[in-house]
Amino acid sequence: MNAIMSDLRLYRRLILMQVRAQLQYKINVVIDILGYLAVTILEFLSMLIYFVPFPTMFGWRIGEVAMLAAVASFSFGLAELFGAGIDVFDETIRRGDFDRVLLRPVGALFLVASSEFRLRRLGRLTEGILAFIVSLVLLHGIKWTPLKLLVLSISVMSGALIFMSILLMGATMCFWTVQTTELTNILFYGGREMLSYPITIYHQVLQRILLFVIPLAFGAYLPTCYLLDRALPLGLPGWVVFLAPAAALAFASIAVRLWSFGVRRYQSTGS
Amino acid sequence: MDATIKAESLSKSFRIARRRPGLIGGLRSVVDPQVRIVEAVHDLSLRIERGEMIGLIGPNGAGKSTTIKMLTGILVPTGGQVSVAGLNPTRQRRELAQRVGVVFGQRSQLWWDLPLIDSLRLLRYLYRVPAERHAANLKRLRALLALDEFIDTPVRQLSLGQRMRGDLAAALLHDPELLYLDEPTIGLDVVAKARIREFLRAINAEQGVTVLLTTHDMDDIEMLCQRTLIIDHGRKLYDGTVADIRVRFGGERTLIAEFSPSALAALPYDDGGQPLLTELPAGVRQARAEIPRIWLSFERGAIPAHELVAWLGARYQLRDVTFQEPEIEDVIRRIYEEGLLLREHEASLMINHP
Repeated sequence: MNAIMSDLRLYRRLILMQVRAQLQYKINVVIDILGYLAVTILEFLSMLIYFVPFPTMFGWRIGEVAMLAAVASFSFGLAELFGAGIDVFDETIRRGDFDRVLLRPVGALFLVASSEFRLRRLGRLTEGILAFIVSLVLLHGIKWTPLKLLVLSISVMSGALIFMSILLMGATMCFWTVQTTELTNILFYGGREMLSYPITIYHQVLQRILLFVIPLAFGAYLPTCYLLDRALPLGLPGWVVFLAPAAALAFASIAVRLWSFGVRRYQSTGS
Repeated sequence: MDATIKAESLSKSFRIARRRPGLIGGLRSVVDPQVRIVEAVHDLSLRIERGEMIGLIGPNGAGKSTTIKMLTGILVPTGGQVSVAGLNPTRQRRELAQRVGVVFGQRSQLWWDLPLIDSLRLLRYLYRVPAERHAANLKRLRALLALDEFIDTPVRQLSLGQRMRGDLAAALLHDPELLYLDEPTIGLDVVAKARIREFLRAINAEQGVTVLLTTHDMDDIEMLCQRTLIIDHGRKLYDGTVADIRVRFGGERTLIAEFSPSALAALPYDDGGQPLLTELPAGVRQARAEIPRIWLSFERGAIPAHELVAWLGARYQLRDVTFQEPEIEDVIRRIYEEGLLLREHEASLMINHP
């Protein structure tokens, strides 16, 4: 317990260091956050254009899709913010900085994850919150219960964990390929894109992959169904939404195991 | 004395995949990679006692960095055993990190955009150093390394020498018993070098920190290290004192004799008008002459220096005699370039395995 607390304190300090370093260039940070916010809002709006000619998307109304996209954006945003160090791991390896990580008496993954924190990425989280408010306005009259709030929060965090695990698997490949492969980007950015739409629009096989292989659906689609009192896909019973943390932890533990395997095969760079 | 570092037949080979050019080649490389195996370190054994200050030298690509990376647990050896401070660097990397300090001369471990003091404070949490001990260490290091003049300056604005002092402080705040230094004086001016050396000598002598340093600067080795390891092609070629390197590979020593005017008058002269010694002991030759001095070169084994002086004294009236040792820099260069030790190493292998 003590060890966890001191790790958390260390994490806070490492992140604060970076925030302070970035705040040396204050105007830059503000422009970056606003710029990123604008881009993500445009993404969100362009998705909603679908509803100009069509009233529903596979039975989903505009407010419902907006909520789905908002939840997906928020969990992706969390992963992007807290997993930035994992995201840029290929650079860390190429610069030879991973040597330094291994010289510290702290877990390598912990240090990699806290090695990068980009304030600009707050832009997407802001967009997620704004989009969520928009969806509430469009839906007017959603019945909130404590259970629904619980499902929303655990799912967003589980989704973030799954997105981070995808990043981690991509980072692990750098031990062999040195560069992040396109595959990671497809899964990471493509995953977010796919999650913004009801997964029932995809082929059965793809739906199953998103539920049981890379369980991203637990991060956005399932909880949104639950919030909107909709049936889950593939005839799954409603309590499945509560399995989100378990699904995320299972997926993350595979990613962490692969990572540890990779660290032992690390070859370092010349002197 | 107990050994801080023990390595037995340590080996490391790298698998280097070669990518074929083009798209099809790239795809083929995924399915059927062309792998080249490079042996960076081969059958290296070493033993370093607590409190020693050891120099690790060798040409670029000799395996110095790879060795240090295996000793810290960054790289997993492909063969052999290693124990550092009683720990296995691979399996107990984090425990070991707590007891080891590392400085890479070419790469800082400080946070680039922030004042030096911020990095030094953060390290307390990274290494879980108790507050009072950290404060005491910081105070001592600030004084020893004269950090105060630039401690509030962002690291990116520091000079190379200042940054190196900052890095040394950062590596020592958690009281490591062992310090690895990779090129600690690279790119520094004479004054900065002297300051760093003085500091290293102090922490080694006063706090008993074991120091292992790699360098290309022979002055570092001569001034700091009781013992030197030379490695090349991933093998240990030499393990001993600097003085002994001179004895074995030093080549010719030079004696400079200054003759009295009466002695000079009696000598024959060459075409250039310089004096000539026609008769000399075996193994000694005249290298140069410039009135009133004559330079004599001789192999270390040919004649003891004092005998040569006596020989000259018996025949000529001398004013002064001085000796010149070969520069260690030249000796080491000869060892690398001519592969002196490598040949010796191979010869010994032939004797052992006929």
